[in-house]
Amino acid sequence: MALTVWASSTANALRISCASKPHLPLAFSFSRCFSTVLDGLKYASSHEWVKHDGSVATIGITDHAQDHLGEVVFVELPEPGVPVSQGKGFGAVESVKATSDVNSPISGEVVEVNSKLTEAPGLINSSPYEEGWMIKVKPSSPSELESLMGSKEYTKFCEEEDASH
Amino acid sequence: MRGPVKLEVWKMGFVNYLDALKLQEKLVSDRKLCRIPDTLLSLQHPPTYTLGKRRTDHNLLIPASELKSIGAELHYTQRGGDITFHGPHQAILYPIISLREIGLGARNYVEKLESTMIELSSLYGVKACAGQKGETGVWVGERKIGAIGVRISHGITSHGLAFNIDPDLKYFKHIVPCGITDKEVTSLRRETSTVLPTEEVIHEQLISCFARLFGYNTVVWKENPSLSSDHEEIE
Repeated sequence: MALTVWASSTANALRISCASKPHLPLAFSFSRCFSTVLDGLKYASSHEWVKHDGSVATIGITDHAQDHLGEVVFVELPEPGVPVSQGKGFGAVESVKATSDVNSPISGEVVEVNSKLTEAPGLINSSPYEEGWMIKVKPSSPSELESLMGSKEYTKFCEEEDASH
Repeated sequence: MRGPVKLEVWKMGFVNYLDALKLQEKLVSDRKLCRIPDTLLSLQHPPTYTLGKRRTDHNLLIPASELKSIGAELHYTQRGGDITFHGPHQAILYPIISLREIGLGARNYVEKLESTMIELSSLYGVKACAGQKGETGVWVGERKIGAIGVRISHGITSHGLAFNIDPDLKYFKHIVPCGITDKEVTSLRRETSTVLPTEEVIHEQLISCFARLFGYNTVVWKENPSLSSDHEEIE
């Protein structure tokens, strides 16, 4: 619980620090920092996050991803025991009549899936980093985490992606 | 600011559903590897019912075994959305485009597909609008004129939209279209008093609306492309 509070206040700090950049007009920085990015997680360029906690890694999609998807109405998850590979799909979400593949940021074996998402797929929208977690994985190559983005890098990545249209 | 953006349009005429699906899978893979530009398939299908990833079979109101007797096929797909019908005189667009390159998420992409059909409808004086929450698609009042079902894999789109020019609406009676009860399906023919031009013209207008809304400044047309899509042909 304490970790969550710390992470949230860090996210707020990130938002505030974005807004105070002198070369960005306030409205621009507000919309760019609208999505929450949590410190302490690692991020893939396909907008999944991973939290490494000892021997288990928890994976989900980011606030930026859920915002761009719209309301999630269906989640397809693998069975426990199934292997996952970095960058490859492990499941899918459906929103606004679009199914979007979800890719694993790391390789390993699925040890647990969030069965709450079957009845309440909207948890991905309302709580993408907590109750909306998707799978837990036993990582096979922990060094893969080093190839992922940290929170600052991912925040910048999102800004650049959103600016490109 | 985006640089010049090219769209390659394949005018395919009448295509069997599975053939189109196989072609899309190949094109998605090619697009992911940047072997081809953003590509748009424009076509029509023979009578075909399709289900999305959620496999909502309960919305098919006749036994699957009877489909052949009404001249229709049934296919299960990985797209989003519920059950729908495709058939002659319904304009289909399957964009195979990279959403990451144009910075669109699923929601914005689908909204632009809705706008494409809304704009086309307005060319004929038909006031269409996007659905309310949970009812993605294009509506004229309470009647659905256009449907959307999309798949996004590694940021590349497949499947797309279906716009009713003048399909045989009786086929829709065998399903709960898009899983929405108590709402009718309609067509451009039904909603406008304007004399419709040939379907080829309407397809081209739909493509133009798409190209404009998505910001393509170069459109390359490919007539009668082969379903087997080898690279030499694209050059």
